[in-house]
Amino acid sequence: MADSTSTCSLVVIILDTNPAWWGRQSNHGNPKLSLSKCVDSLMTFANSHLMMNHLNKIAFIAAHSNFSHFMYPKRQQREVTDIDTNIGEINDGKYELFDRMNNQIKDEIKSLVLKNMEVEFENDSLIAGALSMALCYIHRMEKEKPIGVKMTSRVLVVKASEDNPAQYMNLMNTVFTAQKQNVVIDACILDNDSGLLQQACDITGGVYLKIPQPQGMLQYLLWVYLPDPSTREQLTLPARVQVDYRAACFCHRNLIDIGYVCSVCLSIFCSFSPICSTCQTTFKIIAPPKLTKKKSKKPTT
Amino acid sequence: MSRHSEEVLLHFQHVKNKKVDGVLYMMSERLAWMQSSKQSFTYSHAYSDIKAQKISADSKERVQLQLVMHDGSANTFQFNNPAGREAQMRDRESVKELLQQLLPKFRRKLSSELEEKSRLLQDNPELFQLYKDLVVSQVITAEEFWSTQGPKYSAKEKNEQKQTTGVSAAFLADIKPETDGCNGLKYNLTADIIESIFRTYPMVKKKHAEYVPHEMSESDFWRRFFQSHYFHRDRTALGNKDLFSDCAKKDEEEIKSEVEKKNSDPLLNLAGHKDGNLEEGYGGVNDDKRGSITPANLTMIRRFNQHSTMVLKACQEAGSQSTSGTSTSNGTHINGSMSKTSQLNGIVDNVHQPPQKKARIREKLQYEDLETGLDKDGVNLHLSRMERYLHGPTPLTSTRYTSTEDLISATNCVSAEIDTWNPDLTHVLHGSTAVSILGELSPGGALMQGTSQQLLNQMVPEDIQNELKQNYNALCELLRHFWSCFPASSKFLEEKVVKMKSTLERFNMAKLNPLKDKLQANHYSLDLTGHMQDLLSTAYTKFDTWQTRRMSRKT
Ligand SMILES: [Zn+2]
Ligand SMILES: [Zn+2]
Repeated sequence: MADSTSTCSLVVIILDTNPAWWGRQSNHGNPKLSLSKCVDSLMTFANSHLMMNHLNKIAFIAAHSNFSHFMYPKRQQREVTDIDTNIGEINDGKYELFDRMNNQIKDEIKSLVLKNMEVEFENDSLIAGALSMALCYIHRMEKEKPIGVKMTSRVLVVKASEDNPAQYMNLMNTVFTAQKQNVVIDACILDNDSGLLQQACDITGGVYLKIPQPQGMLQYLLWVYLPDPSTREQLTLPARVQVDYRAACFCHRNLIDIGYVCSVCLSIFCSFSPICSTCQTTFKIIAPPKLTKKKSKKPTT
Repeated sequence: MSRHSEEVLLHFQHVKNKKVDGVLYMMSERLAWMQSSKQSFTYSHAYSDIKAQKISADSKERVQLQLVMHDGSANTFQFNNPAGREAQMRDRESVKELLQQLLPKFRRKLSSELEEKSRLLQDNPELFQLYKDLVVSQVITAEEFWSTQGPKYSAKEKNEQKQTTGVSAAFLADIKPETDGCNGLKYNLTADIIESIFRTYPMVKKKHAEYVPHEMSESDFWRRFFQSHYFHRDRTALGNKDLFSDCAKKDEEEIKSEVEKKNSDPLLNLAGHKDGNLEEGYGGVNDDKRGSITPANLTMIRRFNQHSTMVLKACQEAGSQSTSGTSTSNGTHINGSMSKTSQLNGIVDNVHQPPQKKARIREKLQYEDLETGLDKDGVNLHLSRMERYLHGPTPLTSTRYTSTEDLISATNCVSAEIDTWNPDLTHVLHGSTAVSILGELSPGGALMQGTSQQLLNQMVPEDIQNELKQNYNALCELLRHFWSCFPASSKFLEEKVVKMKSTLERFNMAKLNPLKDKLQANHYSLDLTGHMQDLLSTAYTKFDTWQTRRMSRKT
């Protein structure tokens, strides 16, 4: 069992805490899953992960509507919370590490939601920012890990709100960074399908799953997301989603199969224009003859 | 049959082929062999099909002649004249001589183009398959096929074959002289060897041009050459009577100039070379074992050196020739730089040594790409829409929660919930929910669709895959022909469009439909030919619109 002692797994959980979405959920009556229930599930999942191996690590990041917040572990306040928990709940027989973590996450969520009431909210969350934070943390942990320990890292994104296309470039950059660092990105989708995360999971080899019954979220977490990627190969898990990698043209935002790409700035256009409208590059190529301009599409051979 | 009217030039009895006795006929255009007991030719080789002939060595017991064909096959005949070995040899010699005369004539006749094409087909199995699909099944004519495929492939080949080959250093040693029995030697000179000699010894070429055939015959010339070559190999003093004596003088001058040409490369130390060996364990042997330096040996070594110099030069000259010929290809670029360096060496001989030495050392030590200040002024990127460049397509602002009231009530709701929240980790999941989710995640469940589905390449057997690939290849080639006709600006193109349309229809009928039926018989759930049909129907639509427009223009 030398293997199990020398490898550890770091899971960074990114929770979408966008109050707009969570609030609407509870507003519309019959809430499938409330934010508190969701955090409960994630805590249980985190505890389970820590139980799998005593070297395993967990980190918790909240992707709020306009900022990302690192919730656990926290360096500056560690000692303070240590004392707090020691005094308060030392006798209830809980594993201290779990207890400390759960309490800290609870406190952070509370302060995050309650203190940021006045801020203007968007409908989407800063997933890209939280992902970059996660990658930075993973990078640091890679460097700080003791010699001889092998660490595999992955990110679990729990997302509910809509995609923000404005994050496209940033998100894609982080995704490719993750791919380079061998970080797997998993996505657990509560509501709106996310084309961006589909691509992220596909590129990094993670699981993308839109869960049909959010109230039973923990079951999905334990069944699908708890096994690490090397174990998953031996399990029969939901099939990979077919990812639509079509690009949107810069001019009309239409998804296109075949388009024109500016060789200078890589802008994508659905129709040919002699001057790139993004970077003003003039193309000195012979445009397709006028007669056939409308139907110059070649068959896809 | 023109067989009877053919003139028989030679025929020999007692020629065995595959251990069967027979008669060998040499006719005006072909060589044929008939089994003794039969009335028709078992083999008939047109001279144009024969690439080369080979004869067995004299030391071998059997007297044989082998014909190598252009397609790579070979046929061996054994001469079995009962009159004895000498008669057998005589028979073979006469066949050989006649073939020697005939083959070059027919070689010129053979269309090199045709040979090239068949070679292309042999070398490119995919092309061959395409050829079978399109030409053999008479979908398009061979001419059309080669007009588009030929240039693509032959251009590729030509680029690869642009390199000039040098002269083998052993080309003279490789000519194995044969003894003719009476104290003489017989050399078999091929065109290649002669070419090598000419390239290596330009003086000999000059002599050859001067003397042959005005003053002596070809064979006489070469006889003298070899006599002289060997005569001089360890002679120091030169006589004057020999035809090649001034050649030898010239060689002498050549070697002198080579020696005088100072070695300008400071990184080479020729004087430091020793004739020593490395001992086992790679310890150097210091003592010089050259005990017997006789003048004869020195001459020999000098001749070797001179020979090597000439061989190397032959190569260099070929390179610089091709540069001066202003042919523009990738290969000459390298040659160009080579001749430049040799020029450089030449110039340096006149100038003082030190700067040259410096330059040479600098050349070895400095790397262009490591130097600073090589930045060129690039074109500035002029972004008129920065946000597009940074973010891609500018997003539509979503409009679901525009009312602030909605937002405020949502946040209030969340904060109220969070305010009263206390984690209760033992009641996160209800048993019944968990069971129903397990159902979703078990094989056959709602989320497991597609996991048990086989991959397409496992579902379809390989032969069908191959057949599909072939059909795709053929269809794409046809479609390429079709689409390349647009815009149909000339009469020729218009005709071709019409022809290609009918060709496509023929393909549809003759190839695609049977394939479709076959696939249907196998009950594949997938529509494997659907895409091909789409391709065809796109082409048909294009054709129809084109034709209606043409008709309307005419009327
Ligand atoms: Zn567009
Ligand atoms: Zn551009």
